[in-house]
Amino acid sequence: MLKTYSLETKANGLIDVTSLAEEALAESGVSEGMLLVSVPHSTAAVSVVSPWDPLGLEDVHDEICRLVPTRVDFKHQHDTPQDAAGHIKAALVGHSRVFYVHDGKLGLGHSQKIFFWEFDGPRSRSVEIKILRG
Amino acid sequence: MSQLDDFIRQVRSLHTMIGPCVDILEPETRKVISTPEIYGIRQIILTGSGDSYFAGAAAAPMFRDLTGLPVQAMTSMEASRYAGGFGKSVINARGTLVISISYSGEAARLVEAAQRWRDRGALTLGLTSAREGRLAKAAERVVNTRIEEVAPAPGTRTYVVALIALNLLAIRFAEVLMRITMDAPNGLRRELSEIGTQLGDLESAFSAPIRAFAELSRDWRCFDLLGSGPSLGSAGYSAAKLVEAAGIHAVAQDSEEFFHLNFFVDCPTTIPAVLYAPSDGAAASRSRELVETLGQLGRPTMVVTDQAGFGGGLTELLVPRVREWFAPIVQTVPAALLAAHVADHRGTRHYRGHDGPWSGARGANLVRNSRIDVNRG
Repeated sequence: MLKTYSLETKANGLIDVTSLAEEALAESGVSEGMLLVSVPHSTAAVSVVSPWDPLGLEDVHDEICRLVPTRVDFKHQHDTPQDAAGHIKAALVGHSRVFYVHDGKLGLGHSQKIFFWEFDGPRSRSVEIKILRG
Repeated sequence: MSQLDDFIRQVRSLHTMIGPCVDILEPETRKVISTPEIYGIRQIILTGSGDSYFAGAAAAPMFRDLTGLPVQAMTSMEASRYAGGFGKSVINARGTLVISISYSGEAARLVEAAQRWRDRGALTLGLTSAREGRLAKAAERVVNTRIEEVAPAPGTRTYVVALIALNLLAIRFAEVLMRITMDAPNGLRRELSEIGTQLGDLESAFSAPIRAFAELSRDWRCFDLLGSGPSLGSAGYSAAKLVEAAGIHAVAQDSEEFFHLNFFVDCPTTIPAVLYAPSDGAAASRSRELVETLGQLGRPTMVVTDQAGFGGGLTELLVPRVREWFAPIVQTVPAALLAAHVADHRGTRHYRGHDGPWSGARGANLVRNSRIDVNRG
């Protein structure tokens, strides 16, 4: 089963999409298997982060911006400097994550949530969730 | 084929020209100035003469809104001889982008302006159809605005292609400067591209009312063309077409300035006015007051707008509603048709046939062959 959800990002940063994965899983009726969260964009990514301190989320985002600052001299100039930096950030973080499913629940720890990571917002985005039984 | 038919063919062709034109110019305008160069721009000058100046004037507000930079439209004389301190101390013009607009690429004063600014360190961009022309050689970069020629008539397609190129550049700069977010520029490009589809029926819808207006023109000796912001560019273009096609004295005026100046002219019932007034434009409230005033004066008036009733009972031409930045493109249709029908009704030859006292303009001699002086003010 493949589910696609639309997102309207308001700014760059992390957006919790765990509830979307749980909703798709519940709809699928799968109790044992694998769940893939995929982001079909080249300037956005998906990752797992602790949700408990909002400032911790900001730290995570700030740090990748420190590693890959938005500059005007990227060779890729088709779009914007933020877009060029976004391609690099997204490549480093990755565009998908896989989670096991056991007893109808996602294999996530207490301090783990799934986050859509926007690097070139605000944009109209989507998140895809694929569930495999087995 | 009569000159009226030729002019109307140009107007009709806009319907199918605009979309493909955006498709061709978009990649060029996207690449012509690099990202670091765009970040180095501190002011923008849009310059040209005739229609090309009016295209710059029409596009300047959009450039200002989108880039947040100081942007000025200048005639080529002003840009060449009266801006940048030329003739006095040599200035460093780094940080200035000068966009020079000339379809032929041979207008002497504009070539001179481009060369002067380039010599002083400005980034110079020419919008021209002539890759090997003098403007293309004088400017550091070129966007090729060549389009297929349709019919020999006062330039209409060439004006619209200049507007499109300028609009695309403004969108591009705003995108790179991140003044608008990533989905917005593509939305604007799409809007621009789709304007052509909205022009399909305009010529047939406007022919009768414009013809009726033109048939009143036998005793008219001059025209006032009015507008503000981008529509002041349309007023200028409209005046230019009336002069070129009909040989009638026509002057563009800002809607506000009308109240200060043109309001007072004598014999108001013999001086027609055409007001270009988008109903949701920044100047709309003043345009409404102007409509009322023109009515009180008894001016023969035509209001080009996008909202029924905006003309307050005066002759009204309804154009498709587009955002104010793009209004000059749709306003081109009634402006060109007005000139075509006035010329036809009065029996005047376009450009007076370049004959008799006007023979000096053959081959654009008067604007091409002025002496170029890149050294002195």
